Amino acid sequence: MNNKKPSNARSIIAHVTLIILSFMCLFFFYILLINSTRSHAELQKGFSALPSSHFMENFRAVANDGTFPMLRGIVNSLIVSGCCAAICTYFSALTAYGLYAYRFKLKNAAFTFIMMILVMPTQVTAMGFLRLITKMGMYDTLWPLIIPSIASPAVFYFMYSYLQSSLPLALVEAARIDGSGEFHTFNRIVLPIMKPAIAVQAIFTFVGSWNNYFVPALVLQSKDKMTVPILIATLRGADYMNFDMGKIYMMITVAIVPIIVVYLFLSKFIIAGVTLGGVKE
Amino acid sequence: MAEVSLKGIKKIYDNKVTAVHDVNLEIKDKEFIVLVGPSGCGKSTTLRMVAGLEEISGGELYIGGKLMNGIAPKDRDIAMVFQNYALYPHMSVYDNMAFALTMQKVPKEQIDKKVREVAEILDIAQYLERKPKALSGGQRQRVAIGRAMVRDPKVFLMDEPLSNLDAKLRNQMRAEIIKLRSRINTTFMYVTHDQTEAMTLADRIVIMKDGFVNQIGTPQELFNKPVNLFVAGFIGMPVMNFFEGCRLLLDGDKYYAEIRGVRFELDAFQQKTLKSNGQKPCDIVCGIRPQHITVGEGDLTATVEVNELMGSEYNIHARSGDDEVVMVIPTVGLATDVSMGSRINFTAHSDLIQLFDKESGNNLIWYDAGSAANNAPVCKDYPF
Repeated sequence: MNNKKPSNARSIIAHVTLIILSFMCLFFFYILLINSTRSHAELQKGFSALPSSHFMENFRAVANDGTFPMLRGIVNSLIVSGCCAAICTYFSALTAYGLYAYRFKLKNAAFTFIMMILVMPTQVTAMGFLRLITKMGMYDTLWPLIIPSIASPAVFYFMYSYLQSSLPLALVEAARIDGSGEFHTFNRIVLPIMKPAIAVQAIFTFVGSWNNYFVPALVLQSKDKMTVPILIATLRGADYMNFDMGKIYMMITVAIVPIIVVYLFLSKFIIAGVTLGGVKE
Repeated sequence: MAEVSLKGIKKIYDNKVTAVHDVNLEIKDKEFIVLVGPSGCGKSTTLRMVAGLEEISGGELYIGGKLMNGIAPKDRDIAMVFQNYALYPHMSVYDNMAFALTMQKVPKEQIDKKVREVAEILDIAQYLERKPKALSGGQRQRVAIGRAMVRDPKVFLMDEPLSNLDAKLRNQMRAEIIKLRSRINTTFMYVTHDQTEAMTLADRIVIMKDGFVNQIGTPQELFNKPVNLFVAGFIGMPVMNFFEGCRLLLDGDKYYAEIRGVRFELDAFQQKTLKSNGQKPCDIVCGIRPQHITVGEGDLTATVEVNELMGSEYNIHARSGDDEVVMVIPTVGLATDVSMGSRINFTAHSDLIQLFDKESGNNLIWYDAGSAANNAPVCKDYPF
């Protein structure tokens, strides 16, 4: 009985703290959503916690604005993020499998080299990267945003850890004896086993790529090629007194909705992903 | 259905560690060979070299008369059952069993017929749509065997297939494998560290230690005619009793084994063999199996320390001088008091006493220096 009281008090403190933190996190999203339903005139009047009726009006304004092609930006971001997630997870899984399942000379050196790249920030290589893609004729295209994601040391390391805990090499050997070729074994046997790890890394890569500002800002010039973060950044140049603020809030809402959807629907995988690699089934 | 021939097979790893030394083994068509030995003796490595999963560092491997060095596992026409089953977890039992045939591009109708036929034999037809994780250990093992069976391989390789099962299921599956063997009638190579499995399943057993083959023979040969101390101690349960400080004596033209001052006149076959080998008197280690000891007779004495009633027999652990002696004595007709602390007399018939040279550890009667199987170095240590 004596033990119960402190535990209740602790629980109350924990809940209050969590409620405050949750409020602080979610309040700004709430205001963003509310503001996206209000007209410019209503927004000029000041703060309101209740939604208004201008949601579709604002949405149409965003969709039809040629200066800030937000829908085109979302499509660009979806293409880049989707491709990045797909090729990053596939090739990282392939690399991790290669290093995990095969014995070859310099295997340890290859692993160390990949880990060294992991600690190198993107900014260090940015100028060289920009020169390279300009010489390759890829400046102001989406390719430089997609292709480099093939090599992702962090995703590779996650996949490698997952393989260590989840893929008995006997499975690969059984497939070899059954007559399966090496690529066929990877695609038919190994990839399905890695599905949970691939799912979680695909989400993280998708979100990371969606939010990426640095590289797109370096390589994209044309408005019709811009991704969502670049378009939102251009809003900084807008005249807030004359610009339709309802439209701006709608732009930001539209830009973050895909990410919220991804998190809401795949939160189970994201939580599972945190424990992946360290737990042996 | 093929004979397998290993000629001087070696495995040397990159770090220069030799895991398998010059294994010579001729496996006849449809023979059931069991490789047995303690952990790290090279038995699994040998099997994996036959499977093509490990590169052969030296020597030649023939399956069905064809040289197999450097040939990919899929082209060796073998099937293998792994210790951890190695079932593809995302595929149903049906797909697991059909996988190899799909790879061979066998028509779907034939695959279906074959898979269902094998599933019936193994009594897993009702589980064909299930995933491996929904099966028990025994059922998974059947699926693993079934996956190998559908291929009708020339050679069936099994790497400790029962070691993940509990004792009861292991006994059951062992019986299943014996039945299965009579049905599919192909060449088997089976690896285990469990001597009971080896004794019950094998036509011939290959005993390995430290990468060397110590003896190849039928279970009965290994039990009755162990070539060295290691084989003698490894095969048989309870383990053979070894008596240190014994002597081989030559009195006139007769050989005697002297254990704790008690002389045993050796039988005619032992006399003849020792004479033909020109054996001189020497220090020896005598081995007597617990089942070959007679209590209540003879001049050897011991004090009973532990007395285990096993139903139809007693397992008696007694102390005779410095040696602990284990005896298996039938309970029926036992006239001697074998209660704890009692002093007993015991003896054994001389033809059941194994004589090992103290220096080399080799059996003075059964060790054949010319045998290709006996390439093991001097083995003086007991396997326990």
